[in-house]
Amino acid sequence: MARPRARAAAALIAATALALAGCSGGNSADNGGNGEGAPSTLVIDTAFSLETGDPGRNYVPTGNLVLHAVYDTLLTFTGDDTTPQPSLATMEQNEDATEFTFTLDEDRVFSDGSPVTADDVVFSLNRVAGMTDSKANFLMTGITVEKVDDTTVVLKTEQPSLQLPAIVTNPSLSILNAEEVEANGGAVDTADAAQEFLDGASAGSGPYLLDSLDLTTQVVLVENPEYNGPTPPAYDKIVVRNVTESATQLINLKGGDSNIAVDLSGDQVESLGEDFTVDSVPSAETIFLLINQNAEVAPATATPAFAEAIRYALDYDKILELAGAGAAQASGVIPPMFAGALDEGVSQDLDRAQAALAESGYAGETLKLQFPNDNPVGGVEFTPVAERVQEQLKAVGINIELAPAPFATEIDPYVNGTGAFSMWYWGPDYADTSSFLPFGPGEKVGLRAGWPAEAAPEIAAQVAAARNATSGDERTEAFTAYATAMQESGPFVPLIVPGNNVASDTSVTGLTYNPTWTLDLTALSPAE
Amino acid sequence: MTATTTPARRTGTGRHSLARFLARRAGTSVLLLLGVVLVTFLLTVMVPGDPVRAALGEGASSNPATVAAYEEKFGLNKSVPERFVVYLGNMLSGDLGTSITTGRPVADDLAKAVPATGEVAFYAIILSLAVAVVLGTLAAYRRGKATDQVVRVVSLVGLSIPTFWMAILAYNFFFLELGWVRGSGRLSPTITPPPRITGFYTVDFLLNGDSVGFFDAVSHLALPVFVLSLFTIALLTRFIRTSVLEVLDADYARAARAKGLTGPRVVFAYVLRGAALPILTMVGIAFGTLLSGTVLVEAVFAWPGLGTYAYNAAKGLDLLAVTGVGLIIGIIYLVINFVIDVLYGLLDPRVRLS
Repeated sequence: MARPRARAAAALIAATALALAGCSGGNSADNGGNGEGAPSTLVIDTAFSLETGDPGRNYVPTGNLVLHAVYDTLLTFTGDDTTPQPSLATMEQNEDATEFTFTLDEDRVFSDGSPVTADDVVFSLNRVAGMTDSKANFLMTGITVEKVDDTTVVLKTEQPSLQLPAIVTNPSLSILNAEEVEANGGAVDTADAAQEFLDGASAGSGPYLLDSLDLTTQVVLVENPEYNGPTPPAYDKIVVRNVTESATQLINLKGGDSNIAVDLSGDQVESLGEDFTVDSVPSAETIFLLINQNAEVAPATATPAFAEAIRYALDYDKILELAGAGAAQASGVIPPMFAGALDEGVSQDLDRAQAALAESGYAGETLKLQFPNDNPVGGVEFTPVAERVQEQLKAVGINIELAPAPFATEIDPYVNGTGAFSMWYWGPDYADTSSFLPFGPGEKVGLRAGWPAEAAPEIAAQVAAARNATSGDERTEAFTAYATAMQESGPFVPLIVPGNNVASDTSVTGLTYNPTWTLDLTALSPAE
Repeated sequence: MTATTTPARRTGTGRHSLARFLARRAGTSVLLLLGVVLVTFLLTVMVPGDPVRAALGEGASSNPATVAAYEEKFGLNKSVPERFVVYLGNMLSGDLGTSITTGRPVADDLAKAVPATGEVAFYAIILSLAVAVVLGTLAAYRRGKATDQVVRVVSLVGLSIPTFWMAILAYNFFFLELGWVRGSGRLSPTITPPPRITGFYTVDFLLNGDSVGFFDAVSHLALPVFVLSLFTIALLTRFIRTSVLEVLDADYARAARAKGLTGPRVVFAYVLRGAALPILTMVGIAFGTLLSGTVLVEAVFAWPGLGTYAYNAAKGLDLLAVTGVGLIIGIIYLVINFVIDVLYGLLDPRVRLS
């Protein structure tokens, strides 16, 4: 009796399961096309750094990538050009570069159909300026916003600020529908409570709407039916998924599970065949060595001559071999895509390195090279680069002990300026060459290298000249002079500009790297 | 009278000892849990590095106003003892603080991550146990023969292969080359997650009568479960083989065979029952190793579970999130140990009295 009963029970369970499964309520999956044969859904894999859907509180790469497609800014970048272009507004500046007048396009509307007005601009920018608990707050430091009329807004700065046009392209300074955001807790100070609303809804004028946002899994964007700007949405839906492993991104792309992989290394894109499109360009990041000039931190490194010895001891071509496709030798503290970047980097000169080493007074001490070992930049792992630096410096008689540590641990000595010799990276806060002035003496990164303004007053003056320039030509000239001087006698040895490698299947066109939002989702469209 | 009162007295004593046993175990578990919270909390504050700087990044951490606002918002302007007291107080009401990286309640983040890991781990331990019992018993029963040799070699290989490498290899082979399973994540991009009932997608899809979602979830689940269970299968197989061998040599198993019972009947009726207690202990330990393996497996399969959350929390010096993960892992271990202790107590009355 037991066996037939057991069989009957098993059959009943199986039948119930099949019946339940068979009653397909049907998932709300949308696999269909857009009626013209083009794919309706675009799937993008990237390693998330997503924290919120609120532009004013966002300041992370994945947030920029997603929110750039949902919200418009006053100005923007198109393609790989780093010159700000009109977006919601056109801009004019005064001669002193302290007043910037933005005139809004009167036709543009938010996703609820209401027009984008000067009040929305004033609210959105003042909101970021007032939310001191926002990571993006510093972008508005020293900037005041005034409404002139319904379509005109003036941004003022105390000092000349030719970088302001680039700053307002940042997705953190997106223009929000003020009325809607205020109705959902928005405010222009720390009392703001609109993040929860903006994590689940869109209050912008971009070509896509935020359909759903899961900080750990995926973001889904859908087309904005009210969009009336210059780049209409090309897809019904864009799914941006969190895939942390680049090896998985590669397999997903090859297997057709995704259309675009954002975080592939140089080696990985080189393995892709002709069935894929690869955009492989130098990024805006720079990996560099820091040689501390503070004798109290490290007597052995605290001379310009020691920095010079290291600068000319290295074989940059061999170091670059470790970086893969898209990477380039760093030609200076300013990466190649920005105004003022030098055309060529340093070449190895062992005689000069030996002479400088003798002058430095280095007596063979073993120095620790500190670096983060859990945070590859553009697919470049720091440990093999450090090993190669160690090997090359050994050849000229500089003894290095590698001291890797996790990023979260290593950042303290770096930021506090207590590391004698370290390897770090630097990326721009906004897509403008002024983002590289912090390397100067007395500036943020310069001080981390124990390098006060009085240690190199001429370069400090060049920093000031570059920062206060009021015309483009004057500015580029000042930045070039600064970069050249830094290359001559600065305590930094720029090594590699890692590649940015984005790959897609052939169904997609429009892959273009941008240092702020990495990939412009609004520029992507189905291949014809 | 004697015949009726003696069993009753025995039952009463049994109930009493079981209740005392359970109460003692529950009390110990609560104390252990407090210890886990204290140790995890202290370890996180001892780790060098500034959580505010790690969370804010370069630009924002240069802004004193933002640093001050963050320190106040996340209570990092208080002393460590103050923070711990506040943490304990909030914990009692289910508030595990706010994650400095996601800006959301840690309890909410964990409520999403735990079912994702739980679903993989549950199926993996079931699969591991089922396969290991068969392989381990077979190997023991055929001791020294070819079957035994093959099982021993295969289990040794299973123990030796790095999980991360195996995961990449399996994904490449079964998804890319053979196309037997769907891509990474818990669901395909075009599938909408089911309304949450249990948090296990397979179960929730079934309960909602959604076959498309159910099969998609199964297809995504298959490979992580397979990879995650490989190590556990190998571990349990070797242990079960040893346990079964010991029982096979026991007097009562030999007696059963001497009475004329067939080999398989002896195994199922006597040997496996005799080996159940040590196997039970090992399953608890195996579940622990399985959980630690989820960090790597989740990374490869883009599985949004506890492992991924723990890794990101540790990397970002997200102290409250790390403590929350420690608490959850501690609870899981304590529950497993408690359940095993109770089962021990039920299966072997001598344990209750010891």
